[in-house]
Amino acid sequence: MRERITSAARGNTDLVGLLVLLLAVLVAYQHYDSSLLSPASVTILSAQFLPLILAAAGQTTVMLLGGIDLSLGAVLGLAMAVFATYDAHSAGGVVTAVVAALCAAVAAGAANGTLVAYAGLPPIVVTLAASFLWSGVTLIVLPQPGGHVPGGLVNAYNNGWNGLAVPALAITLVLAAWKVLRTTRHGLALYAVGGNEHGAYASGLHTRGTKIAGYALAGAFTGLAGIGLAVQTGSADPTIGTPYTLNSIAACVLGGISFFGGVGRMRGTVLGALVIGLLTNLLLFTGISPFYQLIVQGVILVVALALKTYLTREAAV
Amino acid sequence: MTGVTGTIRRDAVVALRGSRAAWAFGVLGVTWLAAILFADGFDSVSNVRYLVQTASFLGIVAVGQTLVVIMSGIDLSVSGVVALSAVVCAKVASGTGGGVSGIMAALALSALVGAVNAGGVVWLRVPPMVMTLATGTILSGALLVYTDGSPSSAHLPLLDSLANGRLLGVPWAFVLWLVVTAVAGWLLHLSRTGRYAFALGAGEHAARASGVPLGATAFTAYVSCALLAGVAGLVLLGFTGTSSLTMGNPYQLLSIASVVLGGTSILGGRGHLLGTVGGALLLTLLTALLISWNLSEGVRQVVLGVLIIGLLLVYARERRT
Repeated sequence: MRERITSAARGNTDLVGLLVLLLAVLVAYQHYDSSLLSPASVTILSAQFLPLILAAAGQTTVMLLGGIDLSLGAVLGLAMAVFATYDAHSAGGVVTAVVAALCAAVAAGAANGTLVAYAGLPPIVVTLAASFLWSGVTLIVLPQPGGHVPGGLVNAYNNGWNGLAVPALAITLVLAAWKVLRTTRHGLALYAVGGNEHGAYASGLHTRGTKIAGYALAGAFTGLAGIGLAVQTGSADPTIGTPYTLNSIAACVLGGISFFGGVGRMRGTVLGALVIGLLTNLLLFTGISPFYQLIVQGVILVVALALKTYLTREAAV
Repeated sequence: MTGVTGTIRRDAVVALRGSRAAWAFGVLGVTWLAAILFADGFDSVSNVRYLVQTASFLGIVAVGQTLVVIMSGIDLSVSGVVALSAVVCAKVASGTGGGVSGIMAALALSALVGAVNAGGVVWLRVPPMVMTLATGTILSGALLVYTDGSPSSAHLPLLDSLANGRLLGVPWAFVLWLVVTAVAGWLLHLSRTGRYAFALGAGEHAARASGVPLGATAFTAYVSCALLAGVAGLVLLGFTGTSSLTMGNPYQLLSIASVVLGGTSILGGRGHLLGTVGGALLLTLLTALLISWNLSEGVRQVVLGVLIIGLLLVYARERRT
């Protein structure tokens, strides 16, 4: 039994380290806020963390393909703007707004993917140029902060609906969908193309199609994140997405997703996003100026990655 | 006879196709011609003067970015360094220290950030993207703490004349940009360090195996890049007279875009510094042109994005292996 645990732990150094870090943060958190494990704080925290978790899930999808998405924040803002400008008064209206926002995000993702697959430009260059494009489209849809989200929806999202933590449920559903997708041909193809594109092509995979589908899927995750952010804040802001680009990359990197593609698990990303989110809150509790949170975030990123590189180098020798 | 001219012509075509930097200037020339024909005021001397003046802020940052990109790195902390330099200089200058000590402090801190970037990449083996992203994040936090969220403004005669003054009708900022480009061009294309940078960009393992010093090259590149971002921050401070925590933000993506539009491969190992100069001028000209057409900011960004993608498709595609 012990051998099995140690061997499993050795295979998942990132995840174990991250779990230890998460536990330490949770213990400290419990010290400041003893209601941490109550249903109410699960609702509050999941409402707060949903945008980052889903954005990081989108970034993970792209990074598993060996790419990187610098336009993620712009696409998130686009989905948010489309969702909030759609004047939804009835329940059907909300559904239409969600569908419209998701369509916009998926289309943006698929366009990125098509350029990456066919244009022969590196993903970082394509998504860099695309970030201008999509933030421009967002500004056309919504030139300044505004828009409208039905109050009932905002209330249900932030305070729970009949005792159900809606955002936590949404995150669980999205992760379950990913879990199922991962076992299908398309999910496996994603890992195969990211791990070894030539090999995947040689074994008969449609590598370009896989890339386009992967970027479109990332768009869907990002779109959901944007909708979540709009519901959380009750309105939309065309430039609010920008920090999500780098934060999503940070969550992925913390979660052990490789820059070279094909390596990493979605659960790592979720843990990474949780650590970033909880640490931010923890700093608020400790009474340190919130200005320090960026510093702590940056230091953790470097330390975590340097430690990981150090450990894996030791293992390789 | 015809055979010889044919060969020369073929050589010229091959050279042109291979020289992406020439493409950047070609597109710049065509765009400028189009601007003169289809927009008002682009043929006046004062307009050209203003254009090269505003292009130098971006251009100085982009020259530094090129040094890093050539050795297959990337610097995502330049926006933070631009703000750092301006904020620190303004604060020191408006406080007890004078203008000169403000400038010295700003440049020293900028160089320090570059050294930290290089140290993380070389010793901690953190990927450049993550390392510079982290230092950039730490910098914005540190600036918030340092200024309590409200940076000060300062009027420094020296920086003011550097940003707005002219030498024989040419803006000092542009002269500074040219000098910076000349020095960086020597460093990258003529010095041994430059050859090392190209070698590292073309293939790190092979370069290291053949004795290219990763450490010294990385430190030179990242420190120069941060130092130039710091210089740009100072010139911007002179230009506007105020410092803000977000004043560096536009230069983050635009500096990388200038490098790529100038024909340098983002994967490193291939490119020319002059291309970056063309890229920065081109981006500034395109922005000015779109503004002169009274397009809304959204439409302007869409057009800029589409143009960048289109131009890259024409001449910056990577050879498929």
